[in-house]
Amino acid sequence: MKKQRTHSRRIFLRGAAGVAIAMPWLEFTSTSKAAPGDSAARRFVAVYTPGGTVVDNGQGQNRWIPTGSETDFTLSPILAPLEPIRHKLLVLNGLRMTSAIGEQHQSGICALLTGTPQGNNGFAQGPSIDQVIASIVSGNSAIPSLQLAVRWGTGKSHGLLHPINSLNFENNGASSPIPPRLDPQAIFMSLFSSLEPDDNSELLAQLERKKSILDLVDRQFTGLSGKLSAGDKHKIDQHLEKIRELEMSLENMVVPSEVCKLPQWVDTSGYNPGTGINADDNGQVKDQSTDEQIPQVGRFMMDMLVMALACDVTNVGSLQWTDTEAKHTFPWLGLAQHHHYYQHDGGFRPVECEQIYTWYSEQHAYLLQAMDAVDMGGHTLLDESVVFFGSELSQPSSHSKNDVPFLLGGGGGGMRGGRFLGHFDLSLPARSHNNLLVSILNLFGDNRQTFGAPDHCTGPLGGLT
Amino acid sequence: MRGEVSIAELPEVRSCLDGGKPTRYDARVNTRIALGVLVLATACYSGRTADQAATETDSHSQGDASGDASGDATGDETGGETGDALECGPGLAENSPLRRLTKFEYNNTVQALLGDDTSPANAFPSEELGNGFGNDADAQAVSSLLVEKYVAVAEGVAARATATPEDLARLAACAGEVTEGTDRGVEDACALSFIEDFVARAYRRPLEEGEAEELFALQQLVRADATFATSMATVIEAVLQSPSFLYRVERGVVDGKGRRRPSGYEMATRLSYFFWGSMPDEELFAAAQTDELLTNEGVLAQAERLLADPRSRTVVRFFFDHLLPISGLSSLERDEMLYPTFSAAIGASMTEETQRFLEHVIFESSGTWNEALTADYTFVNGPLAQYYGYEGVEGEEFQQVSLDTTQRLGLMTQGGVVAGTIHSNLTNPVVRGSHLVQKLLCIAIPLPTGDVLDQVKPPEPDSGATARERYIQHSEDPVCASCHKLMDPAGFALENYDAVGLWRDTENGQLIDASGSLPTGASVSGPVDLMRKLAAAPETYTCFSRHWGNFAYGRTLDGGDKCLKEQIDSAFIESGNDIQALLLAITQTDAFLYLPEPGADQ
Repeated sequence: MKKQRTHSRRIFLRGAAGVAIAMPWLEFTSTSKAAPGDSAARRFVAVYTPGGTVVDNGQGQNRWIPTGSETDFTLSPILAPLEPIRHKLLVLNGLRMTSAIGEQHQSGICALLTGTPQGNNGFAQGPSIDQVIASIVSGNSAIPSLQLAVRWGTGKSHGLLHPINSLNFENNGASSPIPPRLDPQAIFMSLFSSLEPDDNSELLAQLERKKSILDLVDRQFTGLSGKLSAGDKHKIDQHLEKIRELEMSLENMVVPSEVCKLPQWVDTSGYNPGTGINADDNGQVKDQSTDEQIPQVGRFMMDMLVMALACDVTNVGSLQWTDTEAKHTFPWLGLAQHHHYYQHDGGFRPVECEQIYTWYSEQHAYLLQAMDAVDMGGHTLLDESVVFFGSELSQPSSHSKNDVPFLLGGGGGGMRGGRFLGHFDLSLPARSHNNLLVSILNLFGDNRQTFGAPDHCTGPLGGLT
Repeated sequence: MRGEVSIAELPEVRSCLDGGKPTRYDARVNTRIALGVLVLATACYSGRTADQAATETDSHSQGDASGDASGDATGDETGGETGDALECGPGLAENSPLRRLTKFEYNNTVQALLGDDTSPANAFPSEELGNGFGNDADAQAVSSLLVEKYVAVAEGVAARATATPEDLARLAACAGEVTEGTDRGVEDACALSFIEDFVARAYRRPLEEGEAEELFALQQLVRADATFATSMATVIEAVLQSPSFLYRVERGVVDGKGRRRPSGYEMATRLSYFFWGSMPDEELFAAAQTDELLTNEGVLAQAERLLADPRSRTVVRFFFDHLLPISGLSSLERDEMLYPTFSAAIGASMTEETQRFLEHVIFESSGTWNEALTADYTFVNGPLAQYYGYEGVEGEEFQQVSLDTTQRLGLMTQGGVVAGTIHSNLTNPVVRGSHLVQKLLCIAIPLPTGDVLDQVKPPEPDSGATARERYIQHSEDPVCASCHKLMDPAGFALENYDAVGLWRDTENGQLIDASGSLPTGASVSGPVDLMRKLAAAPETYTCFSRHWGNFAYGRTLDGGDKCLKEQIDSAFIESGNDIQALLLAITQTDAFLYLPEPGADQ
């Protein structure tokens, strides 16, 4: 398997004739930094965690909400792990997912990034904001966006793409659900193999063959497209677009730099990314070996996501921590049942739920701090990004979509962290989270005033900068 | 308990009374409700998920003006008829969307083409829900991940196919003889002849001008820097990513009567993927070269051959694996203390019981759906016989046994079928009833929404001795009852089967009341009566033909397919609901035999 290397290696450049040239190692600075004064955000990351948070622990306590005022507040027990990065964090309370209409869990994940109710096919009726943002910021990156998921496809979905586990939706008119990448080893190989200098000649020859094949296939799809009826042409064109994206990513070879380094490789051999196929509806089929490795797979995925951004592989990413079924166990927390059991299948268990949500906060703190450790020259990767964190509901025992826990991390687009936004004017109608989605888009220089279902959006939320 | 809301205003009540049409924000009313499958008011406890129920509610069949078309972004609006206006003349084929090979089909095809039996397409990302069979042409979006997997899987298949000289010899006899010393001219001739033969089979049609040349050019380009084997592998990789391989392109021809039909090769492909889930065989290719497949009789003759071939059993199994809840039986987890005789092996045997039974009914017995539903026999092996309590069967081979028809009758009372929807140690009449009503009668039941949804919670296990008691709220609360009256009563009639499919007379010491009803209006006194009444309902047969139609055409039939549905239904009924006759009749429908006129499908 691949091993991490440090600085003594050769890298390859494309010469003018497109021929690979082996060069001694040179120091590079990353080419894609935000120039000082450039106001729009440059990177977007969406993180999904299942099951909301503990809004009511059965003793009248809200274990998630901070206490205090906008700038002078104490983080809650569940959010406490985020203390080290709180100055770059916005905590948002009081938003409702009014556009989450449909089945109680599915509608939540469906609307989370799209602001639309479930459509007739169970999926969203509009694109997710990460896809919209990708069309704004993907200019210089190898792939428009990257979707990763850990321990995904549990429970009723049986490992299939399903309204119960779909977070991202294409900006292609049909809002097609996007299947996330599940296999950490495959992701590592496909994103970072060009950073690994061993066996380069064979790798390059393989790459050339791949490009020649894609070139031919591209021409075949193009030729076919011209001969079809409108509906069929649309399908072929969609396929062709993806082939072209792949061709582009092969042209944009990732080169190491001060900030772009091979992520620490992790042995995930006990982890079966496709284990969802064997799932039963109620989470009674357990996969101990895979569940045990969730923490290290999660770290690996986050490391790869951060490096994918730092290496300009992409500017837009999303990470799903399982799905709304969340039917896997937590051996490292000593929890032998699955998450949904503690949500309500076994009766609501606030103590165990809090354990789980706190652990997710720890993972999120890791991600934000890892992004903050990448020096883009005068500012960090986190500073030029917007990191969104949300769930499909707030209180798991009631499936409420009120006061859904949202976090925004980073400083992209002038976002100002270190604040708790929860004191909305109660005399006004409750704010729809669609308004938050609009404000996020505004941070990227997109000045639209509505997003998602129009009757669930009253304009930008504001207050982020 | 709940806020004051007028019952009549609640959308879910209206929708249940209206026959299942919840409004959505885009204001399009569509009878195809994927959510209907995901079912059920019992909070997060639900039945089957991956399949999509077709919808044919009682009120809809009266012909509402809601005949919306497919979910395709281009909005194919061939529907909209109100139930009496459309001409159903000959040669009218309404929808024929481009179809892409599914995982199932890709696996079978590379096996036929290259002998690769590793099922490499299982690595493709999840297929969408669609019609429940994974082949819904309107739910075949292309993701970046899928395209990457097409590349990776093709690399793997090609590498395996060219790994050794013996492998190369299987591709082409001359290829197995190529060595380092082989004259380049001889080698090139071999490569070209391989391409001409292999690619025509892979594209499932004769090559057009330039197609062999462009692949030969690729082979030559690669050969300049790599071995002969690598250059051959590259050709295979390219072919497996080509649109002519991955998609079933149908350009059509005009027949002697001026109507558009699939060409001989295109019809061969339609037939082989319908009956075998794979590419045409040599005999089909030979038939494609003549005019045989341009006539209805020619199509029927090949259809009969394909159906009679053992390869059709794979497709029949695949169909029932997706229609019935029998594919996960070996991973059903049950409490060993409560159910000491159940095991993964028993679960697997139950799957085989149902599949063997259906195979017998369809290929060895009368072949009617009625027989499947009301047979007085089943198939068991030794362990399963012991499990159920049948005498005289030993060993691993499955044999026919007679049922005690006071307790069981037909397919839907088989252990695997009644246990397969249950995923806890307690039975759930809602999921059982829902599966029967939605899958066997095609009656869609919408999910609760809004305020009702917020209130929904599963019953506590100790809230009643029997399931009927535990789910009492569904019948007492009028808001719940509006929808639950459609499915719970069918599930109650199955309560004599416990969570592992075994018969019981009591639950927690209380005698089980297995009376119930079907949403068709028929009351039933127990499970056997339920099956008789199910088999007597005409909806049962139009629903079954709908599923086969969805599977065969790779779509979800809707209001716009009225003519097609009529053709299939009348053929099925006239044959006495003979399943083989249904499959053959599908190949004789206009939708199968003809193509839409240009402009009809945009």
